[in-house]
Amino acid sequence: MESLHPRVRLLWVLSTVIQASVLGVIAYLVDRFAVSLPQTVVVGGWVVLVVLGIVHAIAAHRIWRFDLQDDALFLLRGVVTRTDTSVPYVRVQHVDTTRGPVERAIGLASVVVYTAGTRGADITIPGLRPERATELREQLRDLANESEATDAV
Amino acid sequence: MNRLHPRSAVLRVARAALQGGFFGFFGGSLGTGMFGLPAFAVPLLGLLGALTFSGYALARYFRFQYELDGDTLTVESGVFARQSRQIPLGRVQNLDVEQNILNRLLGLAIVRFETAGGSATEATLDAVDEAEVKRLRNYVRTHDRDQAAEAETATADTVSEAATPGRSAHADLPGVTGPKPTHAGDTQARNDLGEPVSESDTAERDQPDGSLLFAFTQRELLTYALVSVRPAAPVLTLASLPLGMDVVWAVLRFNATLAGASLSGPVVRWLTGSPETTRLAVFAALSVVQFLLLALVVSVALTVIEYYGFQLTQADDDLRYERGLLRRYSGNIPLEKVQTVTIRENVLMRRFGYATLAVETAGYSGGNQQSTQGVAVPLAPREEVYELARDIEPFGDLDFDRSPKRARRRYLARFSLAAAGLTAVAYALDTLLLETGYWWVAALLFLTVAPAAHLRWRHRGYDLGESVLATRSGFWRRTTRIVPYYRLQTVFVTRSPFQRRRDLATVGADTASSSSLLGGVARVYDIDEDTAKELRDTLRERLTAHVAGLRTGDRAGDADA
Repeated sequence: MESLHPRVRLLWVLSTVIQASVLGVIAYLVDRFAVSLPQTVVVGGWVVLVVLGIVHAIAAHRIWRFDLQDDALFLLRGVVTRTDTSVPYVRVQHVDTTRGPVERAIGLASVVVYTAGTRGADITIPGLRPERATELREQLRDLANESEATDAV
Repeated sequence: MNRLHPRSAVLRVARAALQGGFFGFFGGSLGTGMFGLPAFAVPLLGLLGALTFSGYALARYFRFQYELDGDTLTVESGVFARQSRQIPLGRVQNLDVEQNILNRLLGLAIVRFETAGGSATEATLDAVDEAEVKRLRNYVRTHDRDQAAEAETATADTVSEAATPGRSAHADLPGVTGPKPTHAGDTQARNDLGEPVSESDTAERDQPDGSLLFAFTQRELLTYALVSVRPAAPVLTLASLPLGMDVVWAVLRFNATLAGASLSGPVVRWLTGSPETTRLAVFAALSVVQFLLLALVVSVALTVIEYYGFQLTQADDDLRYERGLLRRYSGNIPLEKVQTVTIRENVLMRRFGYATLAVETAGYSGGNQQSTQGVAVPLAPREEVYELARDIEPFGDLDFDRSPKRARRRYLARFSLAAAGLTAVAYALDTLLLETGYWWVAALLFLTVAPAAHLRWRHRGYDLGESVLATRSGFWRRTTRIVPYYRLQTVFVTRSPFQRRRDLATVGADTASSSSLLGGVARVYDIDEDTAKELRDTLRERLTAHVAGLRTGDRAGDADA
């Protein structure tokens, strides 16, 4: 079982900070143009959100695991509701590596695995070093191809 | 290359001219009002709009060409941004035909080709005449059959004993369908299938070899309309009430007099002027009953319009449905593209031994036309439904395992919390606003908690069959899903904090089905955590084994050929 790069916590915290700040800006605009909001509530709300984000990021990193098993990609995640997901290699449609702006700034990358299913049709593994992401993508591609070849024998 | 039918061009040009004319007229009126354009600009702009729009429509008609050649459908379209699209016929999941009233008068029909990819319908032919519909349908179907026949002759010897689980499709999206078909046993089984019910009166005009599996008589249709409760009907009724506000007021007024109120002004004044509680209760009860009756009528009407003249036929390896009073819908569902089979029974249907059968393919991925998708048999006696389901996807007798008893305690706790919450709300409302002193009526909800928990627990279960996973859930509307192992996509196990407290887990098996609303996920709720892990591993193993099994058979057949 492989865990994510520790720096992914920073990524998650940063995105929480960004989201909380967007909410803060909205609150500011509401305060300015519509109803006046007490400043303590706005600032306090921002702090609470960020603290929750930090706690969540630490817990999520501790729980997140993934593993390339014999027949399937196996993921373990979820802070509140634990979920383990098995993606059989036979079912992989295609694999992407993606790097968002925050990910690029921190030097991380994600791998996204697509299936034809309805729920969990795209499964993201965040917090990978770029080299590892590329490697993983190629591994998954090979496993997907192989699973078809060996099956047909 | 073929063009769409000329009559459809006339229709479209006329429609575009109307739209453009209206647009120009509207713009002109606005212009004369705001910028002081001369008055003759209005008809002139109207004419200009009509000409531009109809010209564009005509250009689109002439640009739109399609062709069936070999095993590909080619569609050329677009006036400014030109598009050329090729669809391999083997990947077509569904072929649907729609006729609205105007089209029916003109003898035209809209044909839609659905494949598993993409977010919208992959090719829409709007519109062609009925002979062309027949030709397209037959081409797609016989194309399938030719391919199947090839595979069949190749695999007949090797595969029939190989106990390969079920049928599957041509080489396709790896995830959406399994590998090539093993039709040997299948076609045989299907020859003596579903006694053709009175084939004469609903003659199959364009499919001489189709056998009627199911058709509605008027009475059955009405029964179905009555027992199938449409949750959308009350909402629709409520939304359309403002259209007949005068009638609504009159009825409310009538109710108020029935309740014994002496009205001196509008009903609203009586309502706001603190009426007696008993009178108010009678008034409210009357109004609610009337509303529900109206909703029932709406629901029945909607269902009748949707399923009027429903019939399901089978031609070779295709299911074919036809239905609709105002708009006629018909479509082909290749059996080998069926992902899951779902049997639904609501409380009323269960009471009278009826059930609904739905099949799902990966076709309508855009989530469009929810109502058309999948319902193979709207209402039939349960045994017939199961028989047909077994024929589509062979499975043995279902023997459902229930969740452990502690799951029931979990539901008990959950429902108690809900009842407590509602009672608290009622208490707060009553003390702060209404002051009737009757808030404790809400506490009667606690009486329903225990039976509700038990019923939920009783109707949930799963069964690991030889080649399928079956799951069941729901009391009001019990849904039984049959998922063949070789159709599984991802498998996941979820544990919420409440489940973790009781060592329970929910296992989900995803398929490539189309209904995103109902979800293509078959869920096994609240089973023991270790059992859940075992189930997950079993599902994974069986998926691999069954896909491998199919592939081996396939390869052997190919080698033979």
